[in-house]
Amino acid sequence: MVQRLIALLRRPFSRRGSRKPFWERPVPEEDPIVNSSLAVPMAVSSLLLMVTLIWAFYDEGWGLRPWRAHQAEFVERYSTFLRGLKPQQGSQEEEIRASDGYLALQQQQQEAEADVTPRLAEITAEEGSVEAKLGAIEKTFATARSEIQATIYLIETTSGSARKDYEEDREELEQRRYEILLPGEDAPQELSYVELEVMFNSLKDQQGRVRARKAAVLQRPSQIRREMQTYVANRMEGLTASQIQGLINGLDDFEYGIHQIHNGDMGLVDRCETCHLGITEPVTIRAADMGGMELFASHPRSELLDVHDPEVYGCSPCHNGNGIGTVSTDTGHGRYKHWLWPLYPPENMEAGCLRCHGDAARLDMAPVLSAGREQFRWRGCWGCHPRQGFDQERLALLVNQKDVTTLEGEKEAVRLLIERTVGQADEAETNEEANRLYAEADRLTLRVADLDTRVDRERDRGRQLLQEVKTPGPNLKEVRVKLRRDWLPGWIENPHNFRPTTKMPRFRLEEDQARAIAAFVWQSGVNGELENHAQGDAEQGKVLFETRGCMACHAIGEGDEAVGGTFAANLSRVGDKVNYDYLVRWIRNPRKRTLPYCPTLKRDLTPEDYAAAGKPFRFDLQNNECPLCGGTLQVQNPTVMPNLRLTVQESRDIATYLKSQAPGAEYAAAAWLEDSELAPKGRAMVRHFGCAGCHEIATLEDEGKIGTDLTEEGSKPLERLDFALLTQTAKREGWYNHKGFFERKLENPAVYDQGKLKEPLERLRMPNFHLEPEEITQLTTYLLGSVTPEDRVPERYHYQPRDQRSHIQEGWEIILKYNCMGCHQVAPGQQPIVKSLPLYQQDDWREQVPPPLVGEGARVDPNWLTRFLKNPALDEERTNRNGVRPYLQIRMPTFTLSDGEVEKLVRFFGALAQQPLPYLPKALEPLSQRELTMARQLFTHPAAPCLRCHATGDPQHDRNATAPSFELVSERLQPDWTRRWMVHPEIIQPGTSMPSGLFEREENRWIFALADLPIMKDYEKDHADLVLRYMFQFTRQEQRRLRGR
Amino acid sequence: MERAQFIFVLVMAGLLAASCGGGGGGAEPAADEAPAPAADAKPAPDLSQAGSVSGMVSFGGDTPKNARLRMDADPVCVKEHSGIVRSQDVLIGDGGALINTFVWVKSGLEQYGFDTPSDPVTLDQKGCIYTPHVLGIQTRQKLHVLNSDGTTHNVHPLPRNNREWNQSQRAKGKPLVRSFPRAEVMIPVKCNVHPWMKAYIGVVPHPYYAVTGTDGAFSIENLPPGDYVIEAWHEKFGVQEQQVTVQASEAKEVSFEFSG
Repeated sequence: MVQRLIALLRRPFSRRGSRKPFWERPVPEEDPIVNSSLAVPMAVSSLLLMVTLIWAFYDEGWGLRPWRAHQAEFVERYSTFLRGLKPQQGSQEEEIRASDGYLALQQQQQEAEADVTPRLAEITAEEGSVEAKLGAIEKTFATARSEIQATIYLIETTSGSARKDYEEDREELEQRRYEILLPGEDAPQELSYVELEVMFNSLKDQQGRVRARKAAVLQRPSQIRREMQTYVANRMEGLTASQIQGLINGLDDFEYGIHQIHNGDMGLVDRCETCHLGITEPVTIRAADMGGMELFASHPRSELLDVHDPEVYGCSPCHNGNGIGTVSTDTGHGRYKHWLWPLYPPENMEAGCLRCHGDAARLDMAPVLSAGREQFRWRGCWGCHPRQGFDQERLALLVNQKDVTTLEGEKEAVRLLIERTVGQADEAETNEEANRLYAEADRLTLRVADLDTRVDRERDRGRQLLQEVKTPGPNLKEVRVKLRRDWLPGWIENPHNFRPTTKMPRFRLEEDQARAIAAFVWQSGVNGELENHAQGDAEQGKVLFETRGCMACHAIGEGDEAVGGTFAANLSRVGDKVNYDYLVRWIRNPRKRTLPYCPTLKRDLTPEDYAAAGKPFRFDLQNNECPLCGGTLQVQNPTVMPNLRLTVQESRDIATYLKSQAPGAEYAAAAWLEDSELAPKGRAMVRHFGCAGCHEIATLEDEGKIGTDLTEEGSKPLERLDFALLTQTAKREGWYNHKGFFERKLENPAVYDQGKLKEPLERLRMPNFHLEPEEITQLTTYLLGSVTPEDRVPERYHYQPRDQRSHIQEGWEIILKYNCMGCHQVAPGQQPIVKSLPLYQQDDWREQVPPPLVGEGARVDPNWLTRFLKNPALDEERTNRNGVRPYLQIRMPTFTLSDGEVEKLVRFFGALAQQPLPYLPKALEPLSQRELTMARQLFTHPAAPCLRCHATGDPQHDRNATAPSFELVSERLQPDWTRRWMVHPEIIQPGTSMPSGLFEREENRWIFALADLPIMKDYEKDHADLVLRYMFQFTRQEQRRLRGR
Repeated sequence: MERAQFIFVLVMAGLLAASCGGGGGGAEPAADEAPAPAADAKPAPDLSQAGSVSGMVSFGGDTPKNARLRMDADPVCVKEHSGIVRSQDVLIGDGGALINTFVWVKSGLEQYGFDTPSDPVTLDQKGCIYTPHVLGIQTRQKLHVLNSDGTTHNVHPLPRNNREWNQSQRAKGKPLVRSFPRAEVMIPVKCNVHPWMKAYIGVVPHPYYAVTGTDGAFSIENLPPGDYVIEAWHEKFGVQEQQVTVQASEAKEVSFEFSG
């Protein structure tokens, strides 16, 4: 039998066979094929099967679900953490409940309850009695009512004799007597349905009244109880013990499985929280709380989640990575070659913000990204690289010129149409037809008027744009009047030798290229005469340099000795570079050009051009019409450096000081700069290297950009980033990704030429900026975030506010462009540069810093702010001063902002303070004669310090004044803000020189705290309000009157 | 046949599992556990063998003339004085004693905790001048600012490490009660209404400080034995430091000499 069974096993799988049962069939002769043993393969494959099965089960349970283990671990660690936290929070809560404030509330509550107890008992008894009566009749009444209603229904739905029967039924029902025994009564009453109804309604009314009375009585105790709850909730840091217990209980029902965010509208599926389980927990979890498991920590910046609901936005739109992946860390984080968007590394995390906040000049919650964008703007990366959102003024100018032409053309067309229509009307057959055509002509005439308005507006905008265009580098047309000739070649060869911190980068130039460029630049400069200036006083110049505000932008001193801002050039050696007379001119008015430039004729106009047109050679913002073509001239240097309204002598002093700081270097004579043969090659090189991206250069004013468009550089497929011969190295070393490419390129822009033999003109052109590592990180973050907007998030999710918030973003552009934050605090938490300068650390100088501008929109009248920004001296004649704070040494400069820029700034401050536009000043109640007398007495009372610090216009007094004159109040300030300022200045500006405690609260009004004036004794109104109204009608005459006292 | 199919399915399932089960999940590396902050308060020093540091602060050089204070802006202030009032920047006593120098133990006491004294330190405004001109106070100790003048003052300390405040005070008004929670040497105090008024407050986390009087002497008593850095601060002449070691029950002598 065994033998047969073996034979059977050896039998091949054959469908054919004899009909005999197998044991009767003869054992075939041994066939080497048929009879070779299958035992081994069978054993092996069954073993394999076994292994595969186990593997499948393993993968099913754990291998493909590594998060299972994480979840189990999270539950364990989190519940341990919560159990540890609970007593702490519990004792904190107890402390709060034991605090005086809480006990006082508790006391009040007990008293209030005790107060109402007798009354409450009375009402409750009454309520009980009414309810008992209701209870006694309710059932009977309800039955009776339904019976009657049923009969009425039948009456309404039937007709004929049946109806009559029903009506009889109804009468009978209405006459039926119901027996009612009210509680507390001995004998039952007999009532008809109508009487019953009256009784029921009256009882219901009573019940309502009693309940209302009860609520009124209970109102105070329950209000205090709510206050007690709020008191605890406001003072608890974190959750209460019972809330934590709730979380612990919740963990018992923890849902093991994929935790997924799904936003179908966005096409978003994020499973990140399957492992990152603590992200949105209501308690703050640090890695240390979870045994060092970073994985389980809370989102480190929960304030971001407050404004980006994770249930809507998920995780991957900001962080990148593969939100669906759950089988391993690398798949989830998208760090494998089949996923295009790997998780941003921590240092570049803010790149994700740009996906939806592409237009933002500054994001408060993304400092690295904002710094990256600022680097991009400030260094002038956009001079070579087109990028959306940059160089807008120049682009707008081009569009503007086209727009004007189009509008003019349209106007001409409409005018012709009018002529034709009128002609047709004149010849019309009927009066009706003629009138219709005349009316049509009138309508078209209005269209012309409208087009005229638009042309005016566009032309005006064009003039403004010419004013707004600024270049990252100086105007090179000025080189001949400005520079020491021999200094130029060395600078072009390597700017960092002369000024290590300059933003001018070093280009990879061959010697002949550098020479040609230098010669062309020198020869393309315009010629002009400079006024000769006597030497100034260097010591006085130093004082002015340090106190007028120069150092908010400029530093002085070399290397570690450098002190001052980095927004503009370090001026230690400027004296070795420029000639003295030019420096004086520049300091006095940096926008002054030697020759005006005509964008239509595309050349600089000389005095001869003016003479030919018979006009005086005079050009400035008021005289900016081209004498030859009538177009608008560029009359300013395209620099952001403002005019400090210094006198000639002050400018000389500063120039002399700066000259004295220079080491006095000598440069090799470079007469070859005049060699005209070098110029054509130089011009070609200047174009090749894109110098005109940052500088105004004669004949190259309209030059295009030479670099790659970086608007969507972060979305560029990796294969299109040319790692050149470093591709393999990058792959091997693990930086074959966008970040790696950008970082190495920024560190050494020539890096991808490594190993290549190239002709000089074929080399990579990007120059070396000598960036610091953190600057590289900032710029890399910015580039990584510069992605195709719809890549992962539909446009409707992007931050594109149409309300006031858009004004905030527009305003930031201006604030950054002119470095307002060098002197002012604009955003809470930001410190201006001047505040960090050594001078302003001294006790006597600490209150000499410019005013913070947080809340400026609520403080000042926007119409006044407009005037102030146009002329901070607030005076056409006396310009060498500050208009508002003449006592500050530091000077608010004139930025010569265009009207458009002024408007944007005013709207910016308004939007930051949520101020409506247009501004409608609040009317204040005029002072009565008596009030005027009181206000004057109060104002001039020896105890009132107002006129001690605020300027009065008396030069003797104003030398020591530390606050603006009251003359400005009515036109400058807003009443609501002023009132808050008077009573609580320390809330609006912590650390202000304006003392607190001038008024104190007495019941519902503010009273003057520093003296009791007899005249005010019977005055019952608010003292602060009185002073406010007085200040808002304060005039120069009033000022004089007070001074005369 | 069925068997064959079954085996085939199993094998395929196995292969599928093998091909997809590539990456095994890995937990994020665990960071080192942060040490729990020590919540225990520091112990008070053992004063059974306390010593002291005392000495003189003197000034060598030409005595600079203090600027004249012009109080014209407020007649009440003028009335309080007869004759010329000068600032108290540099006050030199007999034998070159440098008055108003703040001497304190700058380091060496970090391991100890100290109770906050319950009695307040007083700063008076009298004749539109702060009295004293230089004073020391312990952290969190109450500072009472009095106004003995018949005019409004405002008290405006300009700290760097504490919060700034600026409070008006009515003529002969209620004392202002404040304190400084953080150590800071020195906090200048000014009055915006009377810009000549200046005082300096040294806020120290322990009771070991002194201000030199008319004889230029200072004395820091009850100091536990140890190694200390003693600092002398003067408004115009800056700071000087000295390392001292105080043995058990030792009365250490230290002197400072400033020059203009």
